[in-house]
Amino acid sequence: MSPYIIETGGLTRSYGDICALKPLDLQVPEGEWLSVMGHSGSGKSTLMNLVGGLDRPTGGTLQVGGENLLALTEDGLARFRRNFVGIIFQQHHLVPYLTAIENVMMAQYFHSMPDEAEARHALERVGLGHRLKNRPGELSGGEQQRVCIARAIINSPKLLLGDEPTGNLDHKSTIMVMELLKELRGEERFTVIMVTHNQDVAAWGDRTIHLDDGMLVREERMNCQ
Amino acid sequence: MIAVKLIPHLLAALCLLLVLLRCFASRRKSVLLTSVCGLSAGAFTVLLLRSMPVVSPYLLLKSLLGVGFLALWGVSVAVNYRKNAVALDKNEGGIVSSVAALAGTLLAAFAAGGIAIAKLSDTALATFPPVLLLLVVVIVAVIVGGGATFLEKQLSPRVTITPVGMVVAVVALLLFSASSILRLDLFSPLSMKVMKGVHDLVHQSMESVLIPDHVFVRPVVWKYIGFLFGKEVGFWGGMVIWFTPPVLIALAVSSRKLPSVGHIRQGAQRRKLLAGALREQRLQLLLPLFSLCVLAGAAYQSSFPTVEYWDPKPIPVVANEGGMIILPKKGDILLEDGKIHKYLFKQKEREARFFVLLTPDGQLTVDLDACAICKPDGYGQAEGSVICYYCKTLIPLDTVGKPGGCNPVPIPFTVKDDAVVIDALTLINTWGATVQATTRVKEGGK
Repeated sequence: MSPYIIETGGLTRSYGDICALKPLDLQVPEGEWLSVMGHSGSGKSTLMNLVGGLDRPTGGTLQVGGENLLALTEDGLARFRRNFVGIIFQQHHLVPYLTAIENVMMAQYFHSMPDEAEARHALERVGLGHRLKNRPGELSGGEQQRVCIARAIINSPKLLLGDEPTGNLDHKSTIMVMELLKELRGEERFTVIMVTHNQDVAAWGDRTIHLDDGMLVREERMNCQ
Repeated sequence: MIAVKLIPHLLAALCLLLVLLRCFASRRKSVLLTSVCGLSAGAFTVLLLRSMPVVSPYLLLKSLLGVGFLALWGVSVAVNYRKNAVALDKNEGGIVSSVAALAGTLLAAFAAGGIAIAKLSDTALATFPPVLLLLVVVIVAVIVGGGATFLEKQLSPRVTITPVGMVVAVVALLLFSASSILRLDLFSPLSMKVMKGVHDLVHQSMESVLIPDHVFVRPVVWKYIGFLFGKEVGFWGGMVIWFTPPVLIALAVSSRKLPSVGHIRQGAQRRKLLAGALREQRLQLLLPLFSLCVLAGAAYQSSFPTVEYWDPKPIPVVANEGGMIILPKKGDILLEDGKIHKYLFKQKEREARFFVLLTPDGQLTVDLDACAICKPDGYGQAEGSVICYYCKTLIPLDTVGKPGGCNPVPIPFTVKDDAVVIDALTLINTWGATVQATTRVKEGGK
């Protein structure tokens, strides 16, 4: 059995004439925190979308958790995302008319079935036990992002993807969110792929890869914070 | 026209095969082959038996349906008694279950094929040469089998069918298919049995407590006892017996214990397992609920049987000055052609409907178009018997002219100068007495 949770070989993604991701060979061991850095348009989000089953590559191979994503149908990809991946977006993408706990329960619903006690516990774990009944509009950016983290981890994913999760947070909130992620990763043992353009945020990972113009240009091992 | 008549039966057979194929998905090919053979064999057997006057194919099919309905009752009770019984919930792969699966498939398909052919009248069948008919039967069976296989492949793999679900669906579909054929319908006879049972029970109970003199039964009680003598008793009682098996099976499925998840630490896994069990439970509820709808359709359809019977419009007749109705044996109508010939006699505001028939043993008989126990809905004639429209009882032609039960009430007559002579007063009085007796609490005749 492969020790890597993600394995790509010559992975490419083109949009018409534009090649967003040039042939990429990447291996991510299980449990690793990988930071992906690069300028805008470097292919960071494209890579994350491919790995998360949100998009399909135009070439190469892509194995995630032993699953060949290229061979999966749309239903298969949906099942893969439901069972295997948790995603945190910069823009949160919380349902504005649902409360914090309902947003978390919605993820449970699409995964299997809602369980209010478990959702409450997840929000308590991210320090929002007192904000269960608040809607996203009534929460700060950091709190909203913590709801997103609770939503992302509620289904015990093997792979947590973060697309600039701290992009619109202040420094204090960023530290809080990153500490929370680190703590949860220690407990849940999931693999993290964090797309960021912030060197400080990338430094929270075990390894950082740098993309430029769709190509892997540099890779560095980080010291754990 | 023949194809149109067969459409509901072929659709029922298609659904039946679909259920069987999915239930025995691991033996798809053998089940398909068996069901195609069963459909053809059922149709051939009924065709063969219809050409032999001694054995009735209807009796065979009706017995098969009766046994199927009883088996459904047995299964529905057993599945409630043993809610977690593996044998009733899962398909085992052993040789015994394989044989049982194929035998069940053969029987079900046999019945479906037989019922479809039973729907067609002798006249319709006579239009085909026998060889062509056999060829058509086989081709249709293959098409139905192919269609069921195609549809089964389109079904989501999540839809699994347990043997219990299969039994309830198959029996319901067969009963639906049979309910449009008067001689195969089970619902109407069931309603009649219930009505008779309730009436007998009430009657015997009343007699045993010497009503109305009994001290404990006050007159007000009669108001409620009256319900038991209404015509709805048979219908609703029949419905209860009819619908109980799928309801019991649905209850058994919905009250099945969910898997124990207390030992699973991870919430997502726990939920996944529970959600899977709940989804399976909901899917397994589909067939009992589908069967309920099919049985409701069967009960409704049994009210409108489409058997082709001989039922001439009553011809108005008058009495002569001597008060006699004279019907020539050989006039515009040949009274001795073995068919019932209906007449309507009117005298002022009174009227009587009667028929003349030459029975197979050569006896001419004159009878009211009504019996002594049912609402006077009249009779139709079909292949060796007359049928009481009200209670759907089949009365062999040999026994027409003999009084009792649901037999048409015989009227005295004489044959003079090659004509049947009936006393009009006797006729109208007998009709009056009969109608008065049978419509005390019912509506008038048709």
